[in-house]
Amino acid sequence: MLALFPLLDRNAYHLDLATGVGIYVILAMGLNVVVGFAGLLNLGYAAFFAIGAYVYALLSLHAHTPFWIGLPISGVVAMGFGFVIGLPAIRVRGDYLAITTLGFGEIVRIAFNNLSAWTGGPNGLLGIERPKIWAPTWKGHFGFELISFGVSALPYFYLVLVLIAVIAFFLFRLMDSKFGRALVAIREDELAASCMGIPVVQIKLCAFGISSFIAGLAGCVFAAKQTIVTPDSFDFILSVLILAMVVLGGMGNIWGAALGAVVLGFLPEILREFAAYRMLIFGVLMILVMIFRPQGILGGQLIRRELTRPIKEGS
Amino acid sequence: MSAALNLFLNQLLNGLTIGMVYALIALGYTMVYGVIGLINFAHGEVFMVGAYLALTAIWLAASFFPGIPFGLTLLFLILFSMAGASILGALIEKIAYRPLRRSPKLTALITSIGVSFFLQNAVMLIYGSKEQSIPDIVPMTRLKIGAISVSLIQILIFSVSIGLMFFLTWFVKNTKTGKAMRAVSENPEAAQLVGISPNRIIAATFILGSALAAVGGSLFALNYGSINFHDGYLAGLKAFTAAVFGGIGSIPGAMVGGILLGVFEGLGAGYISSEWKDVFAFLLLGAVLLFKPSGIMGNNVSEKV
Amino acid sequence: MSKKAVFFLLFSSVFFFCGFEDKKETISVGAAAPLTGPQAYIGIGMMQGAQMAVEDANVKGPVFGNTKLSLVAVDDQSNPTQAVLMANKLIADPQVVGVIGHFNSSCTKPASTIYHEGRMAQITPASTNPEISRQGFDTFFRICATDDVQAPAAARFAAKELGVKKIAIIDDKTTYGVGLATVFEKEFKALGGTVLSHDGITQGEKDFAPLLAKVQSLGPELVYFGGVYPEMALLVRQAKKMGLEALWMGGDGIFDVTLIKLITPPLATGIYATMLGVDPHSIPEARDFVTRYEARYGEIGSFSAYGYEAMNVLIEAIRRAGKNDRQAVLAQIKAMKDYPGILGVINFDKNGDAIGKSVGVYKVEDGKFVFLQEAKA
Repeated sequence: MLALFPLLDRNAYHLDLATGVGIYVILAMGLNVVVGFAGLLNLGYAAFFAIGAYVYALLSLHAHTPFWIGLPISGVVAMGFGFVIGLPAIRVRGDYLAITTLGFGEIVRIAFNNLSAWTGGPNGLLGIERPKIWAPTWKGHFGFELISFGVSALPYFYLVLVLIAVIAFFLFRLMDSKFGRALVAIREDELAASCMGIPVVQIKLCAFGISSFIAGLAGCVFAAKQTIVTPDSFDFILSVLILAMVVLGGMGNIWGAALGAVVLGFLPEILREFAAYRMLIFGVLMILVMIFRPQGILGGQLIRRELTRPIKEGS
Repeated sequence: MSAALNLFLNQLLNGLTIGMVYALIALGYTMVYGVIGLINFAHGEVFMVGAYLALTAIWLAASFFPGIPFGLTLLFLILFSMAGASILGALIEKIAYRPLRRSPKLTALITSIGVSFFLQNAVMLIYGSKEQSIPDIVPMTRLKIGAISVSLIQILIFSVSIGLMFFLTWFVKNTKTGKAMRAVSENPEAAQLVGISPNRIIAATFILGSALAAVGGSLFALNYGSINFHDGYLAGLKAFTAAVFGGIGSIPGAMVGGILLGVFEGLGAGYISSEWKDVFAFLLLGAVLLFKPSGIMGNNVSEKV
Repeated sequence: MSKKAVFFLLFSSVFFFCGFEDKKETISVGAAAPLTGPQAYIGIGMMQGAQMAVEDANVKGPVFGNTKLSLVAVDDQSNPTQAVLMANKLIADPQVVGVIGHFNSSCTKPASTIYHEGRMAQITPASTNPEISRQGFDTFFRICATDDVQAPAAARFAAKELGVKKIAIIDDKTTYGVGLATVFEKEFKALGGTVLSHDGITQGEKDFAPLLAKVQSLGPELVYFGGVYPEMALLVRQAKKMGLEALWMGGDGIFDVTLIKLITPPLATGIYATMLGVDPHSIPEARDFVTRYEARYGEIGSFSAYGYEAMNVLIEAIRRAGKNDRQAVLAQIKAMKDYPGILGVINFDKNGDAIGKSVGVYKVEDGKFVFLQEAKA
């Protein structure tokens, strides 16, 4: 049904917006793995998104790497950073992971801003190549031709849609697996899980890595769509916004995270008629939703059960 | 005295100045965390609102009592800003956090982000999105202490901040409310059993923290001479870092953490590179968490609030 | 909740916006500038100039046939990524035949790639970085002088008129700031001066005390800033409070009355700035526009006349093209000879830069910029 959207609404700006929201959906699903499934707080998620974007930008500008090869590389590099940051932080209390990732997020942004020789500093990297695909053509005879995605958001919309479907499928399978159950067990009661023989640190680290990988993919798509990356696209506010999407949609629920991203992604546009007041209203809505539906819009049964218990120190 | 030493002392002084402001904000983060275990992201905005209230107070003073000595204006703006921010702090707690007392921490974190968006945009709508210039009410005289010259505003920042820190330490140790705060942070259920109302104590913590942040905001505005509605974000982030650096939940930790962070940043900016100073701050934090995860003063359990 | 229901929710929220399509038959001109954020003040001034040009054209009658003009104003927030997004938005709109903008060179440069892809003419009223016109895009035009004129003029003024020998340079790391500061440094050294230091700052940063303490210890006679007025204001104010005794100088990016308001007039006195062209108040051809602008919006912004001028060039090209066709409008701008603008006659060279545009040197006195001299390339 979603695939029909461009046919029904031909406004190019809406399509562009929908594609942008699609990237939010990918990010929210990725962050949900860490926050929703593993119960770990990542406040620097934008950094992994940024790394993915810059990796593809650099590959494209210096090595003319095609998008389809750049995509997995971006994901893997982001995942590598995820392991490096996660390893020391995951061992200690949950709050510390939050703060380490927050610091990491800022360091990455500032580094991209200051390493002008490689990253173009605040001006960013421009001229990133758009994805190209072999498309069937008809020039007197049937053949295939390598064509670029071009300026229209349409191909990006479908690219993002396909990615969302693939990632969602993968995450559903993952959550039904032994790994997924181990994650939930850790989130519910870490001590009990480790007594059951679950390798807590490895499982958490794995979740962190998967989440960073997804952010890297999203970054690569983002860079290819914008054709420009600048450090200020990856600020702390973005990390916070994605987190808000996950929590708002319902932690631990794959479609919940996606829904949160759709709502928060489109809300500023819907509120556009309130002009200057829209971000004010945005803030108020965030507060109201949390007060009246603390488990999020699609909060799962499991989470709801957990919610009835009061907060424990050091969780 | 050599020029090199002179420069060093100057940089140290710059670092201490901003460090004092960080410390004042960090106290609010640490007290709230100590009492309800919440990272109150909106705290940086309270600081920013405090700075705008100071500006408003200067305008008010200039239009109603033109020509009064700057000392009185100063006293008025600090009190005005503290009072306004206290009310704001109490309101935030009551509206955005109290209904979520029994929800997971993350939920309250999201509302704190909502509050943050709200305050930033409210200030933008009221005062405009432009950088606001703060009139120079403090004379720009410089005092020579030994070989280094200190501005009047720096002396003001030092004396007000240090005074407030002493007051807070005394308050937490000796007053009934202060003792109750410590009790709630140790064990909320037990505190309730001995007749302490957690809601009142939590509200008191927000009021106290907000008032301190407002003083920080006022001093910040006077020092830099201009204020913008997104100034709360970075200052808040740094102060939060300082609180963790010092050991979150610990009052002396927040003070020491803030001051050290400022000095570290000032020296790093002055001697290595001013562009990377925020990175130094976060690297320092990372190193501390790696080697002493509880922060530099985190063991100080008895002082926890 | 079932998966189907979730799908429905996702689906319906997407469809919330359908049915807003615009089917009017007017022709549109785009204008891009920072309308929010720290540099909004200068951007809004530019946009008001453009707005007046569109209104003036509509008062005169239809541009061709029965077509009226409408302005599509977009906000790039001085942010390169936002600029690219907005450029995409403009070229996606088939009604838009040309654009004026952007203000910041760091926005104009990446956006120029998009306009080139969309075959849409772009005229920048304000971006001075010389690199932009060297990218070989035939869609790019500029009606103001570049930093190849501005920075050497500033360096010559500092070395010869002010007799300064030792200077410190600070830039904001943007395309504009770095470009300006680099050319200035080169020219100043070529004139035999000494550059003690060249540092970068981050836009939006607040505390420059450590950097300024370092600069102070080197003892420069003048500090040159490649950047825009919000940071300049903070730098100068903090330096004065610190007791840093040096002259200050900057380019067209600091040329805005807001700078003086932020620093406060007594402290701002003595700041030097180069600005594109001469004061519009002093040009007879511009008098009518300046009077009408000031009657409507108050004091004229530094780039209001440039916004007006660039939009007029675009409108003239549309008039000559006589149809809603980007390629035809582009060809008309290219073919334009001796266009009589309010700020002087406009001819474009092969890169799209206006020929023979000068800069003026100004000094802040009594709370305003006072014209000192004119400098040509």
